[in-house]
Amino acid sequence: MRDLLPKFDYHNPQSLQETLALLDEHKADARVLAGGTDLIVSLRALQETPGHLIDIKGVKEFRNLSFGEADGLSVGAAVSLNQLVHYDAALKVYPILAEAAGTIGDYEVRNRGTLVGNICNGSPAADSAPALLVLEAMVNVASKTNTRKVPIQDFFKGVKKTTLAPNEMVTSINVPIPPAKSRGGYMKARRTMGEDLAMVGVAALVTSGSKLENKVRLAYASVAPTPVRAYEAEKIFEKNKPIDQLLDEAIPTVMKAVCPISDVRAGKAYRANLVRVMTKRLVRGLWEIN
Amino acid sequence: MAQHSIELTVNGVRRFVETESNRTLVWVLRHNIGLTGAKLACERGDCGLCTVLLDGQPVKSCLVLAVEANGRSLTTIEGLSKEGALSPVQVKFIEHGALQCGFCTPAAVLAATALLKRNPAPTREEVIESLEGVLCRCTGYRQIVDAIIDASHSNH
Repeated sequence: MRDLLPKFDYHNPQSLQETLALLDEHKADARVLAGGTDLIVSLRALQETPGHLIDIKGVKEFRNLSFGEADGLSVGAAVSLNQLVHYDAALKVYPILAEAAGTIGDYEVRNRGTLVGNICNGSPAADSAPALLVLEAMVNVASKTNTRKVPIQDFFKGVKKTTLAPNEMVTSINVPIPPAKSRGGYMKARRTMGEDLAMVGVAALVTSGSKLENKVRLAYASVAPTPVRAYEAEKIFEKNKPIDQLLDEAIPTVMKAVCPISDVRAGKAYRANLVRVMTKRLVRGLWEIN
Repeated sequence: MAQHSIELTVNGVRRFVETESNRTLVWVLRHNIGLTGAKLACERGDCGLCTVLLDGQPVKSCLVLAVEANGRSLTTIEGLSKEGALSPVQVKFIEHGALQCGFCTPAAVLAATALLKRNPAPTREEVIESLEGVLCRCTGYRQIVDAIIDASHSNH
């Protein structure tokens, strides 16, 4: 039995300033510990051996989960997925986000794992990412000396890579209120009914009304080095045509936005086919609610 | 690497433990406190057999550092019976034969106990969902789900 994790110092800061100072001091030798559901697994596998873990759950700001008519939803870095999934405003205003977050891991994992951790892990399969992409979420990043806001579509840089510098962390995610008369959905193909990473994840947000631009937003997980939004394909839905025709036109453009690979969960061709089928099913279903 | 002095309330009893920062909660429960109901199996959050209740919520204790649990309350399978009497969920597991080898049973019973606390009348689907994180390789789950549904009826 591998009974020990690699050695590290454990820090338990109680304020935002203290957290950022620790991160600035240890930089790449430190990792932020929120839920630990990815980090402890990767420590156990010796994929990473940081000298310092900074547990952020003691900091009040990171535990903030709030909703306001003006600013939308704010999810602090230590808010668990289950807190989010059962939060009234998330269920009512952002059902797509609650739906997507509810497919991550299993109930016990969601008791510890966080929304912010799900994106900071930088996995191409992050289930919350397609929902955050179509909701056009803003990621709040801080270091000891600076803060910046990063649109979610600029956050991911590659497999396990994000825009974060070693002395930076995500403090919270803001999700603006979705357009009026919009509805979204997240469809996840997995090998078992229970916990599994997505073979393909598709999020769509469809808006009714006379305004034709930005009518359909589409984003994908597990089919490219990062979660991706299919901007070019979205434009096709601005035309005034029956939905089946629009979908037939849009799918080839969707396929240009993704580049699925073969891995333990699915083959490349199967993934590509899932992208086609799931996009059609999801968008048609949401369109018909019109 | 610093030693940490932590305080855990385990099944209602306060425990003081000296631990290194890189010890997981399941390790401390088994090796420092001597409670072996939470199992070490995959140790990567897949099987769920190390499930314990942390402040009433089921978590995988292989993914929690012992130091993170400082000051918190834990319930393990050893803490469910009261004065020698098994809990209602435990009784129903026996009645329904909801175990063969028994290795996952502490985890399944704890997950079910937490489910019935937050949702006293779950649907079959909700019971199945609550067991997503607990792998059983013997029973095929049917008896486990039956036992939990039955326990929910006797809840009322």
